[in-house]
Amino acid sequence: MRRNGALASGVSVGAAALILATAGHIIFRLENFEFSSNWIQLGPLSLDFGFLVDDLAKLMLFVVAFVGFLVHVFSLGYMKEDPNKARFFGGLSIFMFSMLGLVMANSLVTLFIFWELVGFSSYMLIGFYLDKPSAAAASKKAFIANRVGDFGFLIGIAMAIGLFGTVSLTEMRELVVSGEVVVGTAALGLLLFCGTVGKSGQIPLHVWLPDAMEGPTPVSALIHAATMVAAGVFLLCRTGFLMTADALNVIMWVGVATAIYAGLTAIAQRDIKKILAYSTVSQLGYMVAAFGLGSLVALKDNPGDAASAVVTGGVAAAMFHLTTHAFFKALLFLGSGSIIHACHHEQDIFKMGGLMKKMPVTFACFTLGLAALVGTPYLSGYFSKDAILALAVEENMTVFYLLVFGAFLTTFYMVRLWKIVFLGKANSENAKHAHENGLVMTVPLMLLAALAVLGGYAGIYPEAMAPLVDMGDAIAHGEHHGTVMVHGIGAWIVGLALAWVVYGAGAKEDRFGGPAYAVLQKKFFFDEVYDFYIAKIQQRVALTLHFFEQIALSGLIIRGAAGVAGLIGIGLKSLHVGSLHQYVYWFIAGLAIFWFIAG
Amino acid sequence: MNDSVSLLHFAIAIPLLAAFATLWAGKLGRPAVQIVSVTGFALPTLLAIFAWVSYNPEVAGGYDFVTRHNTGLEAVGISLHLGLNGVALPLFVMAAVVGLAAGLYAAQSKAENLSRYLFCLLVMQSGLMGVFASIDVFFFYFFHELALIPTFVMVGVWGGRERSYAAMKMTIYLTLGAMLSLAGLIALYVKSGAESFDLITLKAHLAAAPLSDTVSTYAFGLLLFGFGILVSLWPLHTWAPLGYGAAPSSAAMLHAGVLKKFGLYGLIQIAVPLIPGGVGQWEGWIIWLALGNVVIVGLVTMAQRDLKQMLGYSSVMHMGYAFLGIAAMSVIGVSGAVIMMVAHGLTVALLFMLSTMIHHRTQTFEMEEMGGLSKKAPVLSAFFVCGMMASIALPGPGLANFWGEFGIFVSLWQFKPWVLCVAATGIIISAIYALRAIARVFFGTESEDFQEVQKEHTVIDMTWAERVPALILIIVLFFIGFFPKTISSSLNDALESEPVYATTEAEQGGSH
Repeated sequence: MRRNGALASGVSVGAAALILATAGHIIFRLENFEFSSNWIQLGPLSLDFGFLVDDLAKLMLFVVAFVGFLVHVFSLGYMKEDPNKARFFGGLSIFMFSMLGLVMANSLVTLFIFWELVGFSSYMLIGFYLDKPSAAAASKKAFIANRVGDFGFLIGIAMAIGLFGTVSLTEMRELVVSGEVVVGTAALGLLLFCGTVGKSGQIPLHVWLPDAMEGPTPVSALIHAATMVAAGVFLLCRTGFLMTADALNVIMWVGVATAIYAGLTAIAQRDIKKILAYSTVSQLGYMVAAFGLGSLVALKDNPGDAASAVVTGGVAAAMFHLTTHAFFKALLFLGSGSIIHACHHEQDIFKMGGLMKKMPVTFACFTLGLAALVGTPYLSGYFSKDAILALAVEENMTVFYLLVFGAFLTTFYMVRLWKIVFLGKANSENAKHAHENGLVMTVPLMLLAALAVLGGYAGIYPEAMAPLVDMGDAIAHGEHHGTVMVHGIGAWIVGLALAWVVYGAGAKEDRFGGPAYAVLQKKFFFDEVYDFYIAKIQQRVALTLHFFEQIALSGLIIRGAAGVAGLIGIGLKSLHVGSLHQYVYWFIAGLAIFWFIAG
Repeated sequence: MNDSVSLLHFAIAIPLLAAFATLWAGKLGRPAVQIVSVTGFALPTLLAIFAWVSYNPEVAGGYDFVTRHNTGLEAVGISLHLGLNGVALPLFVMAAVVGLAAGLYAAQSKAENLSRYLFCLLVMQSGLMGVFASIDVFFFYFFHELALIPTFVMVGVWGGRERSYAAMKMTIYLTLGAMLSLAGLIALYVKSGAESFDLITLKAHLAAAPLSDTVSTYAFGLLLFGFGILVSLWPLHTWAPLGYGAAPSSAAMLHAGVLKKFGLYGLIQIAVPLIPGGVGQWEGWIIWLALGNVVIVGLVTMAQRDLKQMLGYSSVMHMGYAFLGIAAMSVIGVSGAVIMMVAHGLTVALLFMLSTMIHHRTQTFEMEEMGGLSKKAPVLSAFFVCGMMASIALPGPGLANFWGEFGIFVSLWQFKPWVLCVAATGIIISAIYALRAIARVFFGTESEDFQEVQKEHTVIDMTWAERVPALILIIVLFFIGFFPKTISSSLNDALESEPVYATTEAEQGGSH
């Protein structure tokens, strides 16, 4: 199949269709169920392989299967001429398999296994263009950033086993509810949250997500916008009953900081996919904040029941936003893919312009997705964002104002993008010759656009998926409806008006400059700091250790006991002279050697 | 007292007989050598798989396929006592499978004096099968030496760069390690008063009359450092990367994959059960040195430019995990360590073999001089990615490795959480060096050196003759990963029946 791209793509798309059908069956025909069978027994610890299909899993399953299928269809057009499309579709299928396993996993260990597998398929697909060094670097960065998060996650699982003696989510919940095990420490929740920080691109591990845009655009849409990156939020929702108030506070603030940081950064980017990527990071911040806020509210209202409630307000709000975000962000990425495809792989927004007339279907769909993202009243994003803001009003007004500011930023950077890309005149040869793509690419756009518009209405969801969405919707329309609506729409109007005034239609150059703006362009220097750490500290420590390895161990010890004895003799003699001067000389000599290696 | 002949005798004898037959077949030409030697590797593998399937000890956790033969050394308490328990079985199977892969790969190599090369390899294989099948401690040691000596010869004669220095260094280190552990074993023989080298008799004697604290300290110390050198415990590991760097690939596969596990196996099966107090007395040493393996050697691995040296260091790093699993002294930790030993043996053998295949195509082990190989050899790159992901315990290809590491991590949390927090940094470190290696060798653009090489050599993708041994290793790795119970249930029984592991478990289990 490796050599037969057409066959591979057919099999892969067929599999995606089958997954959609099966998911439909599971969601609509089957009651909530749990299945598990013993996988491995290590001493007293029994680890099961199993599935847990409840309301949470059903909603996520729907998102993954539906968006996944549309992205597969879109890819048929997008990857048509790629010689390596067999590898592409293979990677996509591995991803679908792993993601479904992750969604339905019934224990922390099963979840972790699929969690690593989605990371691996993401690594493979980010590095899809093998001969591009930037793609290879980005895939490596993604994998390692995720592993840093998994470091905490794995310790968290070990800690959970220490506390509960099991990793089954159902059993753990029962132990917490019955009060047999009291989670007295924030550490457990925060260690598990490390996994989320890695996977869902929260500060400070968000750096991989914008770089992950090196992968083909359908991959960005499916994996790095709609589903995999949201898996971190899903993990939080799954393990919500293990969180203490302290842990939730940290989680909430990390989410808020990420939302604002990414929103600010998005304003100064030129690459259409990077803008969307930062927007994704920002929205993931909203979801994480929503989980923290809502769970805090639940904990305050009813400490006893917070753990036993399968769905708290936080889970509902986070999952509601996750769902609507999956629709409109997948739409925006596929739309950008359509644009990039039409412009012959041009990604700089200042080299586009005037695409409205050339690509009317893409324009219409993209605009609807954008409108939903910025929270235009009565579109999906409006409701799901309001639910988050409503929780913030209840819990913490500072957070509320920050999130409103974040909403303003979202509108501002998205309108900037929209005006520069679609209005005015074409700014490059590529953009001049752009034309609309075929149906295989536009139909998925239209379907997603419909959901982006309607996704906020709980009524459109079949009953099987409704519980979470209903609750999210109810929060949005709760007692704080008035405050939230005024601020939300206010942020929307101000953002829209400002961006409209500031940016010219189809502009060729960015409007701002100066040091403050450079900070935004440079993404607050996260990459620089990490690069410095890797190149100047980590790598040098490694080289220094390697040097000692060669000299001290290989060279001296083996070349003869005499050498060692002699050296020890010299060492002892000079170290024990008791003169301060000597010590200073030794110190300087040590420094010099160190400098020689490190410098 | 002589029992009937069991399949274990055949598994040990066949490679040895095949070794001499191969020498003789050398006169008949290359195909004869290949057929005889591959048969010598394949039959023990079939026997091992048969043993794996039919393993069913009379006592839960006890030995199966037990036979005992007199050797004329009864006076000193030595008899050829063979059998497999739940700890030995998975390692025995792994030894056979890795041997088959190494043999298949060696049989098609271009080594000079192929029949002598295969002779050495077959003798080594015979020793390896014997190590894990021995209940008698003397024979356990004897088979180790039988496997070790051909390794030196292979490194010295067929090795690559710096082979004589590497062979000399390996010999010094490994002989020293073997001597220390022999001294430890003899100390047990003398001090236990059992007057027998039989593990079961020794165990019974020592359970009735444990060693005094002083004796147990020095006996365990001898075994710990003796075995430690053999397993490349930091900082006694420097022979390993150098030796593997120089060793011909099949020898490196068998040594890094299988023979190196001898020391860990000795600790798990002999030292810890016989001297239960020893681990406690040496706990600090084991933890700090094993963390040195994980963190310091891990960082050193990141600095490597030579692919084969990097693999050598990475295998040293993984041994640290196994030591930590043993130090935790619980069923979870030790079974994690054994599963990891099995998975690591398969993985590292695969990687050493693939690295040689890469060398055939690039004419170098320097990663800087490679690059872009995936275009010319996509199948090879897929295998290599698979092997590397297995080595960093990524579930999927590395699911078996994951179970091992996971068991160790869980036991470390219950043992000492801070140790886990330090040791778990290894998952980041290993990801960094593994991905760097993949990117440098296979991705990006072709380096100038590689383009030069291509002017003289046409670079082809993996041939089927190369794929078969690699597939054998990968299939077994996947199988154990997806069906871990096939090894873990008998392993569990064996460890549960070992009081030293089971009691610690009960004490720790009581804490929650």
